[in-house]
Amino acid sequence: MAQYIKPLPQITAETREFWEGCKRHELLIQRCKDCGVYRHYPRLMCPKCGSWNVEWVKVGGRGKVYTWTVAVQPFHPGFFEDVPYAVVIVELEEGVRMVSNIVDCAPEEIYIGMPVEVVFDDVTEEVTLPRFRTA
Amino acid sequence: MGSIKDRVAIIGMGCTKFGENWDKSAQDMMVEAAYEAYNDAGIEPKDIEAAWVGTVNSGEVGNFLAVPLRLQYIPVTRVENRCATGTDTVRNACYAVAAGIYDIVLALGVEKLKDTGFGGLGQAYTYLNPVLSPRGAAVPMFAQVATRYFHRYGIDPMEGKKIIGQISVKSHHNGSLNPKAHFQREVTLEQVLNAPIMGWPLGLFDCCPVTDGAAAAILTTPEIAKRLKPKGDYLLVKALQIAAGPGDHQRKDDYDMIHWEETVRAAKRAYEEAGIKDPFKDLSMVELHDCFSITELVTYEDLGLCPRGKAREYVEAGTFTLEGQLPVQPDGGLKSFGHPLGASGIRMIYEIYLQNQGRAGKRQLKNPGLGLTHNLGGAEGGFIMSVAIFGPPGS
Ligand SMILES: [Zn+2]
Repeated sequence: MAQYIKPLPQITAETREFWEGCKRHELLIQRCKDCGVYRHYPRLMCPKCGSWNVEWVKVGGRGKVYTWTVAVQPFHPGFFEDVPYAVVIVELEEGVRMVSNIVDCAPEEIYIGMPVEVVFDDVTEEVTLPRFRTA
Repeated sequence: MGSIKDRVAIIGMGCTKFGENWDKSAQDMMVEAAYEAYNDAGIEPKDIEAAWVGTVNSGEVGNFLAVPLRLQYIPVTRVENRCATGTDTVRNACYAVAAGIYDIVLALGVEKLKDTGFGGLGQAYTYLNPVLSPRGAAVPMFAQVATRYFHRYGIDPMEGKKIIGQISVKSHHNGSLNPKAHFQREVTLEQVLNAPIMGWPLGLFDCCPVTDGAAAAILTTPEIAKRLKPKGDYLLVKALQIAAGPGDHQRKDDYDMIHWEETVRAAKRAYEEAGIKDPFKDLSMVELHDCFSITELVTYEDLGLCPRGKAREYVEAGTFTLEGQLPVQPDGGLKSFGHPLGASGIRMIYEIYLQNQGRAGKRQLKNPGLGLTHNLGGAEGGFIMSVAIFGPPGS
């Protein structure tokens, strides 16, 4: 594996389960055990009902592009060869949103509402990033 | 809940030239702004009974202000609330006066960014929403709002870029009339549209600059103001509101990415506090937080200056130009006056102050009166928004 020089996520106690799931190529999202609402990013308390009762659920990884932009200036040396690339917010079928990239189409082909599904990118031995492809 | 309306007066203000002030330290700029304000108010430094200093990056505690100004053992507090820092600094000082504890106080905001390597908005922030602004870069976050806004109202992205581009043309024009502005040159729509893209659709001229500067206000009671300034050349505080978002920005059922609820809530409370029924009719000018052109477009709607989805029509009609029905950023705004984070909120009040005294030079409005200032700090998933209203005696 070529040396990976882009910034890597800082894995914390709260997010470890999520990243461990990614390594197994499974998208895990937290769900409140009291009100059933999904939440992402991972955290202690349900934003809807305040419950601390939580479970991790393997979700389908299907969703739609909610909004997008195109990064043109590489503000980090790791992105010199990537620009221009799209940064999208994907809304999963479960209702939560996440920031990611679309791996299989040019920035100008991306549109709001575009159906996408998760793919996993093993960027280092420790870290796998969830990205999306057209579905 | 009480109200601040007509309980505090601003009797002196000062503001440095904003820009790349390589030849001045933060301390130099604080002295310059404070002494302009002292002279304007006709007071001595020893008259200041307490002080508040607002800065995001440039200093830590009250001594940051007490030392350069040689304030003599009075209470001095540092305030930090992201881009709403300047306004919150004034807010803290106002409440101390309204509480009857102090007669005359100083509120000063300052930022010295250019020689720190500060590369842009968002870098200074430690808490951010890891879903919507994972590494704190402001450009993509606001760019994604632009994309979503255009989609929601059926605006072709290139058309949308032209609409927000006109906002930057307007603000650069106003800044060209302001000798204290960071940028004092006009730009054409063509230049805006052809500028390098920072994060599509936002180009270089859709973004405010990184700026050095300081601004200061002397606050007192209306009774003392009448005595010190018998000609009535002071401002009364009409409303001071802050809204801190709880993070309703993560799920499909709680956030639409085409408005900012924090602004809506703060504005509603500010209008109630000031007794404003129709902001478009009652206000004579607005200084809102145009960190990006799209931010200004969305904020027109969030402040209730135009109906939802109609900002485009107002922009195209020139409603918010200096000659329009409701001038927005008469001093050039963050876009052209510049954005030294902690100073920006007080710089906005400075324009309302100058306009009401007929001291705004080439950009002087014919009928100044109530003016609104708005700041937007932080990121999606927890903005700090301020809305404040000021007016001359009798307004
Ligand atoms: Zn719950």
